[in-house]
Amino acid sequence: MTPFNLTQFYADWATILPECFLLLWACVITGAAVLGRTDESKSGTFAIWTIIGTLATAVWVAVTQDGAAFGGTFVFDRLAVVFKEVILAGVILTAAASVGTVSRLRAHRGEYYGMILFSAVGMMLMVSATELLTLYIALELSTVTLFVLAAYHKTNRKSAEAGLKYVILGGISSAILLYGVAILYGLTGTTELARISQGIQRQFMASGSFPPGLALALLLILAGFGFKLALAPFHMWAPDVYEGAPTPITAFLSVASKAAALAAFLRVFFVGGQPAQLIWIQAIAALAALAMIVGNATAIVQTNIKRMLAYSSVAQIGYMLVGAVALDPWGATSISYYAMAYLFANMGAFVCVIAFAERTGSEEISDFSGLSRRSPILAGFFALFLLSLAGVPPTAGFLAKYYVFAAAIQKGYLWLVLVGVATSVVALYYYATVIMKMYFPAEQTEGGFPVARTLTIVLAVSALGVLLLGILPGPVVDWIKAAAQSFVPPT
Amino acid sequence: MADQFIFWVAAIVAIIAAIRVVILKNAVLSVLHLIVTLIALAVLFLQLSAEFIAALQIIVYAGAIMVLFLFIVMLLNLRKDEFGRDQLPWLRLLGTLAGAAFLAELISLIGGGRVMAATVPDGFGSVRSIGIALFGEYMFPFELTSLLLVAAVLAAVVVARRKSSNEVDAAPPAGSEGEA
Repeated sequence: MTPFNLTQFYADWATILPECFLLLWACVITGAAVLGRTDESKSGTFAIWTIIGTLATAVWVAVTQDGAAFGGTFVFDRLAVVFKEVILAGVILTAAASVGTVSRLRAHRGEYYGMILFSAVGMMLMVSATELLTLYIALELSTVTLFVLAAYHKTNRKSAEAGLKYVILGGISSAILLYGVAILYGLTGTTELARISQGIQRQFMASGSFPPGLALALLLILAGFGFKLALAPFHMWAPDVYEGAPTPITAFLSVASKAAALAAFLRVFFVGGQPAQLIWIQAIAALAALAMIVGNATAIVQTNIKRMLAYSSVAQIGYMLVGAVALDPWGATSISYYAMAYLFANMGAFVCVIAFAERTGSEEISDFSGLSRRSPILAGFFALFLLSLAGVPPTAGFLAKYYVFAAAIQKGYLWLVLVGVATSVVALYYYATVIMKMYFPAEQTEGGFPVARTLTIVLAVSALGVLLLGILPGPVVDWIKAAAQSFVPPT
Repeated sequence: MADQFIFWVAAIVAIIAAIRVVILKNAVLSVLHLIVTLIALAVLFLQLSAEFIAALQIIVYAGAIMVLFLFIVMLLNLRKDEFGRDQLPWLRLLGTLAGAAFLAELISLIGGGRVMAATVPDGFGSVRSIGIALFGEYMFPFELTSLLLVAAVLAAVVVARRKSSNEVDAAPPAGSEGEA
């Protein structure tokens, strides 16, 4: 044991300052709400300012601190910076998009934002964890409040069902992940990813084969992440939970929580599992193909827009993982870029659903018919986000798909790219169906409606993100690439 | 010799009780069998010179958590006919197959002779060594668990607070919306 060192102690805590700051205000907001000491309508504004403050502290830490804390179990490296910003952007947009939903709650308004912030703390810790125990606990922290958020309309049957399903499946998937972690610890005697990688390599050198049980451990961990990412065939919970949860929470689940899980996935498999790539890379390729096929094929037949977007996000995760078969910095870059493009497009699409449902009370795809007349702005935004999800230029979605496919082709995974391209065509079909309905309705529907101001801002920011990433990707790609190169070990 | 004997008794008791946990229809009996399994496992932990884990196993799992289980099972007070019929019989088959595959994998792992017995250092499994690991190497995740507990308690408070009289959410016009 190293002796206590005060300078190191301060440096450690300075590195996790953003999380501490966020946690403090999460406690204040939740506490004030639970004790009934606040004007609950202010909580949302507080939450947004908290996130902005967290962003500011994160920038300060990135500039001033050297990045590793607590003996290397927690790092603030460039990958962490990239994903923390994605997550915080997701949280801000979620909080802003929640204003209408929360104002219609009669009780527990303040706690709603508190729960979101707690979840955000967990996600931020998760993308920085380089040690499996920390990672696991951070993952639990990020999901435990999401269970409650999914069931926030607890008097609504669907919402309650969503919460319950999420709790049970979330619990089982955590157990599976933990089992894999335990086996991995048993094999290598450590929970630190870098040392796990060394341990696997050493045993491979010594005996010419991988340690027994390594495949089991990695596949269990992969299954655990599969649940969190809603990757087929572990996606069964997603449509029900996405449909039942309050729509801003659905957006949060599908964007921020997936980004965090994706970052953790990158660390575990690109760093820890890197020497054992022979074992898992085929499995990832198969799962990615399955997710693209199942997600897109099932999305076609959906009549509820939230369920359609749920299945489409299953497919989107499949596309992201196509980049994972190229186990190099470029692969990691393509995945991170995809995650960013997906953040804005998917968040925007769900906010369109919120705006639409707030005025019409419907989430059926057929009711979107004629939206271009009723609310041209909303229809325009929705069309843009759907086109980005489909991967049509000049949106970010196009470049994102291009990058992951290019990364996979480099490594000779032509069949996977062909599956991806074929399923993209299918995806374009159902996204375009919605757009066609909005712009070329079979019969005219009456009644124009405005979009709430905060929602318009969220939509505009998301649209800006989608277009900027699509038209001027250079700086962002360079930034992500530097991050990827700093953490993916050279092959 | 005595060591071997104790091992086999504890192992067989653990396995039989674990199987009964799954197949028994009566939930209370299932919980009681789970306690038996956990105590038998505690004996195995003792044999692996993990005294502290063995004590925790009995105090926390067989004691505290199982009491909670029993309370909940009894509070729910399910009658047999409330279980309903098995709606997805093929899932049971699938589960059995998956379990068998997992067992085969474990047997091949251990039987393959590639897993070596490890020699443990002095004081392994003692309270002292666990404490040093917990507050040394794993200090950060250990601190995080307290945060996790706080979040879980707050989440539970939010979800379980009694419905206040005005908590009927203002429903939007149509009923089909998930946000109603």
